[in-house]
Amino acid sequence: MKKCYLTTGIIFLVLFGFLLTTNALAVDKVVIGHPACLSGKYAKAGEQAIGGIKACIDWVNNVYGGVLIDGKRIPVKYKYYDSESKKEGVTSLIERLITVDKVNVVFSSYSSGLTLAGAPVAERYNMLYMDHGGASDRIFQQGFQYIVQTIGPGSKYHVGTLNMFNHFDPKARRVALAYEDSEFARMTMRGAEEHATKLGYKIVFKRTYPKGVTDLTPLLSDLKANKPDIVIGGGHYEDGQLFARQMSDLDINVKGLSLVASATLPAYYKALGGRTAEGVMGPSHWEYGVTYSAEGAKKVGLDWIGPDQDEFVSRFKKALGKDMIPDYHAAEAGAQVLAYVKAAENINSLAPDKVRAALGKLKFMSFYGGWDVDDTGMQIGHSMVDMQWQNGKRFIVWPLEAATGKLVYPKPKF
Amino acid sequence: MILQLLAGNLIHGLLLGGVYGLATMGLSLIFGVMNVVNVGHGAFIMVGAFITLTLFSVLGISPVLAIPVALLMGMALGFFFFYTVMRRLIKAPELASLLATFAIGILLEEVVKLIFGADFRGYNWGLGKIVLPITVIPLSKIYAFIGSIVIALFLYFWFSKTRLGTAVRAVVEDSEGARVCGVNVGWIYALSFAIGIGLTVMSGVMLTMFIPVGINPYMGGVYTLKAFVIAVLGGLSSPYGAFFAGLIFGLIENGAYVLFAQIPGVAPFPLTVSLAFWMLFFLLLIKPTGLLGKK
Repeated sequence: MKKCYLTTGIIFLVLFGFLLTTNALAVDKVVIGHPACLSGKYAKAGEQAIGGIKACIDWVNNVYGGVLIDGKRIPVKYKYYDSESKKEGVTSLIERLITVDKVNVVFSSYSSGLTLAGAPVAERYNMLYMDHGGASDRIFQQGFQYIVQTIGPGSKYHVGTLNMFNHFDPKARRVALAYEDSEFARMTMRGAEEHATKLGYKIVFKRTYPKGVTDLTPLLSDLKANKPDIVIGGGHYEDGQLFARQMSDLDINVKGLSLVASATLPAYYKALGGRTAEGVMGPSHWEYGVTYSAEGAKKVGLDWIGPDQDEFVSRFKKALGKDMIPDYHAAEAGAQVLAYVKAAENINSLAPDKVRAALGKLKFMSFYGGWDVDDTGMQIGHSMVDMQWQNGKRFIVWPLEAATGKLVYPKPKF
Repeated sequence: MILQLLAGNLIHGLLLGGVYGLATMGLSLIFGVMNVVNVGHGAFIMVGAFITLTLFSVLGISPVLAIPVALLMGMALGFFFFYTVMRRLIKAPELASLLATFAIGILLEEVVKLIFGADFRGYNWGLGKIVLPITVIPLSKIYAFIGSIVIALFLYFWFSKTRLGTAVRAVVEDSEGARVCGVNVGWIYALSFAIGIGLTVMSGVMLTMFIPVGINPYMGGVYTLKAFVIAVLGGLSSPYGAFFAGLIFGLIENGAYVLFAQIPGVAPFPLTVSLAFWMLFFLLLIKPTGLLGKK
């Protein structure tokens, strides 16, 4: 009788093990989960991110053939919900994506604050968490194991900008820093201050303004009194428009003005009625016109994956059903899909911890540029460019080797 | 230099305060008459901003002419939401009207997003500026301030000199007493809600004359918060109190910055914002009904 029980038990265990193995092998799709910002403050960046992700998934499924795991190409699926650009939405949706939708990887929401809010949830479930919209360095100082960044760190945003001003006008030494008091912008200000000091700039003004500010007059009047040559600052969107508008209202004319995030968006020029935006600059992770290519990747010894720039733009337009050129929020989100595919294929697995380890070793190039992360998961392989509004068009003006136009300096008066 | 900065900022603060005051009068009027806290207040300001933007950008109509259009459209929205939603909630628990106005706000935001998208928009009126020795003032800000004062005065005379205005005041004082005296209280509720929303939508026009950028379906949230602070400061059910409180709020927001900036190691802007709340806190300790609120 005992022998019979033992035999039954062994058969059951073998069957169970077989079922488990078969189930593991029978992975027929990769699911990317995303608490997207479809509404709320970051709806615009959210729309761009969704377009970028869909464009690259389209390329992976229909051109590349799917993700190669165990010799079989499997398609990528995309599951997203609206987080309403709110922290509570992000945390509950990440939990839902992991436990109910059983996604293989979670893409973060836009902004450092939302990315930081979601990180502990992904961490609790040992889930790979890919960050395409949270630039604050602080995200990577918390000891999270499963986070990997595609967007560059906030502290580097204005480094290139300062190098550029230093290159073109070594005599302009008075810099004013005025940033939004947000997770991302504080980090950008810290990086800018450190680099400006290193370059020998005199910081004549350094202030933050609260999120959701509706009037910058007091701060800008103070800034004007300090007579800067160069003003760098900003935070997100509406404050960037307000910044330039009220500088114009108060007749604050400086040689150089660079604002993070908002100045790089196509809507910026129109919102400011054209003239006010002329000569305004912004650091960008990607601009239409960058010259990354498979040949270029080969030259620097990097693997290439993904569509070229024009193919990405065309798939982006198809994904959103709108005739618009994507901005960098779309490009970084799309590049993140490619990074995931490449890492999963390199390790031949979809297990989050294995893919995370593979991402740590991954170096490649795509239409977005270089990709490489340090031990904490922070992006170190991607270089930013600086763009400037000139006659209603955006031109890359720095670094010189990537430039699509010449810097207009000093900036035209408001 | 400090005095010059302070004087300049106070001028800007006064101008902005007038617009803040107008933006809060609608909230106070609706609360005063119907005892309804309009949590969707900011969304109506946003509607006003989009009316201005559309008229200016598409039809080339001056923001000044957008003021009556906004009033009419705002009143139409007010009547619509009163007869479809609010009428049923006047005697309901306060939470019901809170949730209803919250929902109306979200509905408006999403409808506007559906039509215009989520871009941050703006327009450039380009009227010119007045250059003073202490500061520079765009003419559009002065127009917005004058417009707010005129509308506030007009409302004051309407309330105090007309039969309909007197009926509204009677309902604010005692709705049952007004009903006994033959006032059609139901109609007064509808009219007050419509005027309150009309004023709020109109203030959206003034705000875009002051700040013609950052126009977005979700721009209203920050104004809702400010309007609540100003309304409580002025006395929740007093539209005039709200207007004066708006002026004070604008002066504090702009003026205190200069003073805080003199303290080394302090970020003056966040402190300036918190100062308004501290002032509200102390005022409520001393006079819980607000500046012009009655017991």
